[in-house]
Amino acid sequence: MPQSICLNLPTKDVQRAQDFMSSLGFRIESRFSSETSSCVIISENILVMFLQENVFKTFTPKEIVDAKKANEMLISLGCGSREEVDELVAKAIAAGGTTIEDATDYGFMYSHGFVDPDGHMWGLNYMVPNAEIPRTQ
Amino acid sequence: MHRSIFVNLATKDVQRSKDFVTALGFSIEPKFSNEVASCVIIDENIFVMLLAEEFFKTFTPKELVDPAKATETLICLSCSSREEVDELVAKAVAAGGTTYKEPTDYGFMYGHAFADPDGHIWELNYMAPNAEVQHLQ
Repeated sequence: MPQSICLNLPTKDVQRAQDFMSSLGFRIESRFSSETSSCVIISENILVMFLQENVFKTFTPKEIVDAKKANEMLISLGCGSREEVDELVAKAIAAGGTTIEDATDYGFMYSHGFVDPDGHMWGLNYMVPNAEIPRTQ
Repeated sequence: MHRSIFVNLATKDVQRSKDFVTALGFSIEPKFSNEVASCVIIDENIFVMLLAEEFFKTFTPKELVDPAKATETLICLSCSSREEVDELVAKAVAAGGTTYKEPTDYGFMYGHAFADPDGHIWELNYMAPNAEVQHLQ
């Protein structure tokens, strides 16, 4: 079964998306990047590929969502500490992202997030090790 | 660092989504699953969360996209052979998914794709080992 993922996201400006992700501390995989694409390394088996909208369009028969107005998906990244969650949000805001809510401390999990310059939503979560997860739903 | 990712997608029917990904051969993480969420394990640090639309809406102030009509993301999973790509597409179609194009053979990469019952697009790629990567654009 597949063991690695590449999440492809449309962007109106590849350079802006790349600069934004670099500001957060993520590395770019130059082998898979060009004028119309930027490949961000999240982990060794996790890549996020920003594609210029006209390139993204060649891979879907449907319309491209304007992520500033509507969302199909929400990305959530695991962080190593509460501090890392806060630091990444602070860097995102400094680099042109926005945040839509305050951080939430669920006890077993600490969460915050940001919206990137294209409108894609990124959640950041720190899971407290060995904490019991309540089944709230 | 070995970071984890959760890709959160909205679904009109959590049970149908769960049955679909199970038919493809993926396992469900019961710790993060309930009546309104189903957590699909791609790898130890990669998860796809299928959330009931009402639950998904609590995480974004924006509109929810109808993935049958528009796309914000293409989830691309790496397969270990051409056969695995073809098998997963065949299983997806048998389980209620659809495919909308023929497989593509770039020489260094073989790819195909399906849309799940909600319309989210899943790409499947096999990269030939040590092949020279050519920019597609």
